[in-house]
Amino acid sequence: MKKIVACYKWVVDEADIRVEGKARSLNFDRIKYKISEYDRNAIEVGASFNEKQGCQFLAVTCGANVEASLKDVLSRGPESIAYVNDGALEETDSSVTSKVLAGIIKKIGEVDLVICGEGSSDGYSQQVGPRLAALLGYASVTFVNKLELTEDGIRAERKLEDGVEVVELTGPAVVTVLPDINKPRIPSLKQILAAKKKTSEKLELAAIGLDSLALKQKTLDVSGTVMERKNIQINSGGMTIEEAAQKLVQQLKADGSLA
Amino acid sequence: MSGDIFDCIIVGAGPSGSIAGYLLAQAGLEVLIIERGNFAGSKNMTGGRLYSHSLEKIIPGFSKEAPVERRVIKETVTMLTGDSSVSLDFQSELLGEEKKDSYTVLRADFDQWLASKAEEAGAILASGVRVDDLIIQDGKVTGVIAGEDEMEADVVILADGVNSLLAQKAGLKAELKPDQVAVGIKEVIELPANVIEDRFNLNPGEGAARLFVGDCTKGKIGGGFLYTNKNSISLGLVFTLSDIGTEGLSVPQMLEEFKQHPAVKPLIKGGKLVEYSGHLVPEGGLTMLPKLYGDGVLVVGDAAGLVINAGYTVRGMDLAIASGEAAAQAVIAAQEKGDYTAPNLAHYKNLLDNSFIMRDLTKYQDFPIFMENHRIFKQYPQLAVDIFKDLYLIDGNPLKPLKKTALSHMKKVGIVNLLKDAWKGGKIL
Ligand SMILES: Cc1cc2nc3c(=O)[nH]c(=O)nc-3n(C[C@H](O)[C@H](O)[C@H](O)COP(=O)(O)OP(=O)(O)OC[C@H]3O[C@@H](n4cnc5c(N)ncnc54)[C@H](O)[C@@H]3O)c2cc1C
Repeated sequence: MKKIVACYKWVVDEADIRVEGKARSLNFDRIKYKISEYDRNAIEVGASFNEKQGCQFLAVTCGANVEASLKDVLSRGPESIAYVNDGALEETDSSVTSKVLAGIIKKIGEVDLVICGEGSSDGYSQQVGPRLAALLGYASVTFVNKLELTEDGIRAERKLEDGVEVVELTGPAVVTVLPDINKPRIPSLKQILAAKKKTSEKLELAAIGLDSLALKQKTLDVSGTVMERKNIQINSGGMTIEEAAQKLVQQLKADGSLA
Repeated sequence: MSGDIFDCIIVGAGPSGSIAGYLLAQAGLEVLIIERGNFAGSKNMTGGRLYSHSLEKIIPGFSKEAPVERRVIKETVTMLTGDSSVSLDFQSELLGEEKKDSYTVLRADFDQWLASKAEEAGAILASGVRVDDLIIQDGKVTGVIAGEDEMEADVVILADGVNSLLAQKAGLKAELKPDQVAVGIKEVIELPANVIEDRFNLNPGEGAARLFVGDCTKGKIGGGFLYTNKNSISLGLVFTLSDIGTEGLSVPQMLEEFKQHPAVKPLIKGGKLVEYSGHLVPEGGLTMLPKLYGDGVLVVGDAAGLVINAGYTVRGMDLAIASGEAAAQAVIAAQEKGDYTAPNLAHYKNLLDNSFIMRDLTKYQDFPIFMENHRIFKQYPQLAVDIFKDLYLIDGNPLKPLKKTALSHMKKVGIVNLLKDAWKGGKIL
């Protein structure tokens, strides 16, 4: 029986972030957290392998404030969760996150397949999956929008810019999945109630061989980007539609928006 | 809980549902609260003021731990015409007296806190789940249906708010009629705490409540409200649903005009709109009271129409809380007997009958009809403004004695009408 792990990030719901003032500082005053969108796809992949093929399926996460996420994630299919909750992980980047996740996954042991979302809803650095693969010594398969289990490995379809690549591999792997791989479930009443009976294992950084001080990072500044409007009026002064259309095309070419 | 059957399932984690869940869990019952919003309070709105008495009785000193915004120490009623206003201001230490005081609240925070109290007490909260139907066997409610899932319980408490489709399904209530509900819209406008305190003359922690009658609803039944929160102002309108559109203004347009009124505009100046919401308010009073219980089922709070809507002010949360408490008491008593049939759950109605809920609803029972009288919302604000205009506008013309000018304005409304309304209003209030 295969053992599958899905990793997820507990992120700020971007709908609640407000960009303020000229400095474009980000206001996090009234924010809520959620399971990062693409990670929900990753969890759904694991849940369906668990339900349809009887694989063992666990969730894994880390962060400074992730305990609020446990009930939610467990209602989405995993049989249990292992996590690290440590203030030192307040401002981690993908390098630190992947170290911690790798530590947890090694601790779980004998994991055949790790599934992550292609990128997180907040940073979207697309690094955690591949880094995790390197740290675990697993194969790395990205941009996956179709995944099957084989006898001793996986068969995955990668959706690339210029086509679809099908890869087959044997041995353990870390797969990052795209949002169109499935439709994540909205947990049902019974799934929510069942989640309350599932187990969660809290691990300390020391228990996975990491030192919280060495991991501590500080972010100096985060600010929003806003696309300034150019306020160009194309058809002012009674210009005909034909002329305006031509002027618009020229403008778009000049801007590099049209090749 | 025997097997997979809960002692009690509560639908809705508003104040009525969470309080019922809190008390039942405290009494050791296995309780499941089901909330369709992603978290308790996520879909809920209120004007903004919680009268503390009923919650204080259940959780003494709650205001110290609950996320309340400000304690109201200042009340103002303002009558508006298109360009003028007359206000009556009441500020008193009495308003702050414990158990009689009131607090402004924002529901997203407050409801979450109350639901977490129920969870701490041992209730299970399942949020993000909508109950679609009830399981009814031989006329007895035995559980709920949510999507594919069925869940059974000895008794179900319907705390699902004003438009309780479930109470209809249980045969306790008919479909809402337009004249039984008002519509409320509200904006939350952010301003720094110190600006709010300066503008409304408040100390930190203190709050103001303002009600507006007249032009804000274009003379229709209803009114405007303004409550100060910590860092924001809740500003909105409530008016009878059957009245909407008759003045050619849409609901958002009415709110926009209200915000532009010279008596309101400076109060919200420089503020930033952070939230916009709309909701129904039951306002039929006693006349729309449903059957409050049936075999295996009870209805509480807005779902039971337990709201006092005096047109310009709405009171529902303290009633919701007290009705949740009464329902919990009735369920606990029923559990002791192991009998959840209607005659046994009738205890709930007895408790309500002997509480402030029915006393106040009875007192206000003619109020909805009294309010249907449009003079209150059209002519009286104009009358007040006219009288004050004569008092204060000095243009060099000879002044007429107040009695005479006031009388001439009153004649426009009709002295008999005025006396009639004053008599009726006085009797009800
Ligand atoms: C504009 C406005 C101003 C008001 N001002 C005040 C005021 O200043 N003071 C005051 O005391 N009262 C005020 N009220 C009234 C007050 O808000 C309500 O009386 C009170 O919220 C009722 O509480 P409740 O628990 O009965 O219902 P609600 O607070 O409406 O809670 C019902 C809950 O049930 C959930 N639900 C509904 N259907 C389902 C379903 N099928 N499955 C699962 N969950 C479901 C909803 O999501 C909601 O959380 C105002 C109301 C409005 C609209």
